[in-house]
Amino acid sequence: MLMKGWRTRAGALATAAALTATLGACGGSSGGGGASTAAETNGGEATAGGDGGGQRGGRLLVAMTDEPGLLNPLFSTEAAADVSRAMVVEPLFQPLADGSYEPFLAAELPTVSRDGRTVTIRLRDDVRWSDGKPFTANDVAFTYSVITDPRSTAAAGSAYGLVRSVRAVDPTTVEVRMRAPNPRYLELFDLVMPEHATGSTTVTTRSPQARLPLGTGPFVYEEWRSGDQVTLRRNDAYWRDPEKPLLDGITFKITPDRQTAVTSFVNGEFDTVFYLANSDLPDVVAAAEGGDPIEVVMKDEPTYGSFLWLNHSEPGDELTPNPVLSDPAVREAIDLALDRRSIIEEVVDGFGEQVGSYIYTGFAAHEIAPAAFDPEQANAVLDEAGWERGADGIRSKDGVRAELDFTTVSGNQSYKLIQQLIQQNLKEIGIDVKLRTDSLTKIFAGYQDGGILANRRYDLMMSLDGFYNDPADYAHVFTSASIPTADNPNGFSYSHLRLPAFDRLVEQAATTVDQEERARLYGETAELFASERISLPLYATHWGWAWSESLKGVTTDAWDGQWANPAIADWSLAR
Amino acid sequence: MAAHLTRRLLLSVPLLVGISVVVFALLQATPGGPLASGGEGAGTQLSPEQIERMRDAYGLDDPLPVQYLNWAGGMLTGDWGTSLRTGQPVLEVIADRLPTTLLLIGLAFVISLAIAIPVGIVAARRQHSAFDYVATGLSFAGFATPSFWFGLMLLFLFSFTLGWLPSSGLEDLRETHTGLDALWDRVRHLIMPVAVLALVTAASLTRYVRAAMLEVLDQDYVRTARGSGLPERTVVMRHAVKNAAIPVVTVAVLAIPELFLGTAITETIFSLPGIGRLFIESADQRDYPVLLGILMIASLLVVLANVVADVLYALLDPRISHG
Repeated sequence: MLMKGWRTRAGALATAAALTATLGACGGSSGGGGASTAAETNGGEATAGGDGGGQRGGRLLVAMTDEPGLLNPLFSTEAAADVSRAMVVEPLFQPLADGSYEPFLAAELPTVSRDGRTVTIRLRDDVRWSDGKPFTANDVAFTYSVITDPRSTAAAGSAYGLVRSVRAVDPTTVEVRMRAPNPRYLELFDLVMPEHATGSTTVTTRSPQARLPLGTGPFVYEEWRSGDQVTLRRNDAYWRDPEKPLLDGITFKITPDRQTAVTSFVNGEFDTVFYLANSDLPDVVAAAEGGDPIEVVMKDEPTYGSFLWLNHSEPGDELTPNPVLSDPAVREAIDLALDRRSIIEEVVDGFGEQVGSYIYTGFAAHEIAPAAFDPEQANAVLDEAGWERGADGIRSKDGVRAELDFTTVSGNQSYKLIQQLIQQNLKEIGIDVKLRTDSLTKIFAGYQDGGILANRRYDLMMSLDGFYNDPADYAHVFTSASIPTADNPNGFSYSHLRLPAFDRLVEQAATTVDQEERARLYGETAELFASERISLPLYATHWGWAWSESLKGVTTDAWDGQWANPAIADWSLAR
Repeated sequence: MAAHLTRRLLLSVPLLVGISVVVFALLQATPGGPLASGGEGAGTQLSPEQIERMRDAYGLDDPLPVQYLNWAGGMLTGDWGTSLRTGQPVLEVIADRLPTTLLLIGLAFVISLAIAIPVGIVAARRQHSAFDYVATGLSFAGFATPSFWFGLMLLFLFSFTLGWLPSSGLEDLRETHTGLDALWDRVRHLIMPVAVLALVTAASLTRYVRAAMLEVLDQDYVRTARGSGLPERTVVMRHAVKNAAIPVVTVAVLAIPELFLGTAITETIFSLPGIGRLFIESADQRDYPVLLGILMIASLLVVLANVVADVLYALLDPRISHG
C-alpha cells in the first residue's frame, strides 16, 4: 500500500537518528533562529530549478542510509524499499495532498456498485512493463493471487482484508468483489506484479521479484551490490514518454552512518540524500545559508508525530489497570504539565509544531487544540484527586507512589533530550519518572519474542507515528482487538486500553464507504482519544528536502516529498 | 609434528560444536525477534496473519533443539540457511561481503607489522632514548584511542575539512578510472579505513616487539655475541630478533581475529560493504541465520589462529618439540 510507503518512513527517521547519536559531536551545528528563517523563506510546496526541459544524460548519486532487506515494498515493511515506489513500480491510483486519489495506471477512478461490494477498475491500454511486455488486467489479478497464496510472504496492506475475489474481465478491466463494503478500494494495487516475469503465485523473500521488482516506472533496476550500492538505469521503453526520464541512471550508495551521509552530501560528494531526518535539517539549512550549492525546501506541514504512549494496564499484567496512569486525573495533569513548546524550540530547532489530535493528516484530519502548558493547573488537578506530596515531593495516593517507567528507542540523541525535559516537567507536579532506552527491536518485538510494548513492560513510551492519509490501521491499534495476549500473540497496541465506544467507532468506519461519513467517524474517535487521553501527542515534525544545485527539475509532493513518481522522470543534471 | 597438528585440529571440532551450541542458545535468549518491525510506527508492523505465515516459513515455531539440529545439520552439508531479511542463502550473503573485509584485514595486518617491527626494535635498542619515549607515548595513545572516534576525526579532517580523501566506499562513483588511476583511486579510498583498523594492532604489536627485544637483548648469549666482536647489526638482526620473534608471532597471529572484530566499526564509518557491518546490521534486525554464520566463521578464525600460532611457535623454537 502507498499508506505503508508513508508510514514506514518513521522507521527510517528513527534508525537514522539512532546512528546520529554516536556521532552527534561531529559535523556543523546551527542556531535555531537562523534555521527557522530559512524554513520560512522556502516554505510550502516549492519547485526549484524548474527551468522547463532539462538536458538528457548523467547519473545521479544518492546517499542512502538504511539498506532494505528486499526492494519490493510488497514484501518489505522497511522504509528504504520505497526507492522502488519512487522509481520502478507504479500504483493504479495515486493519492493527492488532500487525501483524494487520481488514476495512475488506471484510466479513471473506478466505479463502485451501489452496495459497495463490487469495484470495477478500467486500466490504461498504453502501459508497458520495462521489458516491453504489455501491462494488462491479468497482471492485476495475478498480484492478488500472489498476495493470497498461503505460501507467499507478501506484506500487503490491510485494505486487501475485505477483498473476496479479483477477476480480469478483459485486458483493461478488473472486477474486484468485496466481502463487505470496502472504503479503502483506492489503496488496492498500489503495486502490481508482472505475471510473465514472476511465474508462480508463490512468491517468498527468496524470489528474485521480491528482491528487485520489475515495474512500469521510469527506471529499471540494474544491480544491487549488498551493503554497497543499488544501481538503476533509465527505462528506455517508458510508457508515459519515451523522451523521459532525462537521467541515464541513478546510483544509491549505501552510507550507513547518517552524519557521514549528510555531511558528504553538503560537501558535494552526493547529489542528494534518500530522506533527510528531522535532526539533519539544522545542518543542511545552515550549509545552504553558508553558501553551499544546495537547494533546501522545507515542508511547513505536520508529518510524523512524536507521541507519548501511555500504558493503561499494569506493566506485565493485562487485566489489572495501571496503578498510576489509569487515574484520569493523572493523565490530565501530565498533559497539562508537558512543556511542548520548549521541546520544539530546544530539541528539534523549531522544525515541528504542536498538534492536539492523533489524526492530524490525511482525508480525516481532525483539528483539536493542543493541551495548554499549565503546571499550576496540573498540580491543582492532582491535589483535588487526592494525590498527596510526600517528604521527597513525590505524590502518592492510597499507598501508590506516582512513579513511572519511561522508555524510548535507544541511540537517538533528540529522544534522550525530550525524555529529560519530560522528566523535569513531571517532577514539577510530583511525579517521579525513571528513564531508560531500549533498542527498536526490543521495543517492537512480538509477544512471543519478549517485546516491551507487546508485553506491557513500560508505563510511558515515546516514538513516532501518525502520518497517514487513511487512519484506518492506525486507529485500529488502539482498539481492544489489537491488544496482544497469549491468545492474540501478534497483536500490536500502544495503550492496552479497552474502550468499547472507541472500538465501535473504528469498526463502523472500517466498512463505511461514504468518505465524509468515515471522516466524521474518525473525528469522533479523535475527540474520544483526546478526552480519554489514550496517548498524548507531543509535536509533529516538519519535513525538509535538499539536493545539489546541479540537480534540476525537482518538485516536492505532499506525501513523498522529493521522491515522487512520475516527477522523478523530469530530474536532470547540469554539471 | 604432523601428529600434533592432527590432534590439535581434532580437538577443535568439539570446541566448535560447543561454541555453536552456546552461540545458538545465547542468540535465542536475547530479547527481540526477527519479525519485530521495519521501524517505528504502527504502519511498519506486519498483520497477525502475515507474522504467522513468516514464522511458519522460517520454522521459528519449531522447538529450539529441532531448530538447532536443522541449522547444525545444514551447516555440515554447506547449507547455512537463508537470511530472514534478504531471502538470500547465508553463504552467498557472507561471500559477497568477505572480499572487502579480507582486503581490510590483510592490509591492516601488513601495515601494523611494518610499523611495529622496526619501531619496536629501534625503541628496544635505544631504551630510554627520545625515540623510545615518543614511540611508547604514541603506542599508548594508539591503544587508548577509541577507533570510532579516531575514524570520525580522520573523516572530519581529511574528507570534510580538507577534502583530500573520499568519505565512503571503495571506488569513485562519479567517474570510472583505469590503470594506475584506478589503483590510486582505490588507495585513496582505503587510506583512512586501514589506518583506523591498524591503529590498535600496530600500537599493541609495537609494545610486544619492544618488550620481547628488551628481554632478549639482556640475555647472556647476546652479551657473548657482542663480546665476541660481532658487529652490532649482526647481533641485533641475527641473534636477538630471531629469538624475540617467537612470542611476537603468537601475538601477531592472534591479532587477526581481533582485526576481524574491529571491521564492524571501520566498515560502518566508511560505508564499506564488509562482514563487520553485516554483523551489526544482522544483530540489529535479529537476522539469526546470518548472525550464526558470521559468528561461526569468527569462531573458526579464532580456533585456527590459535592452531597456527601453536605450530609457528614450534617451528620457530627448536626447543619445543611435539613428538
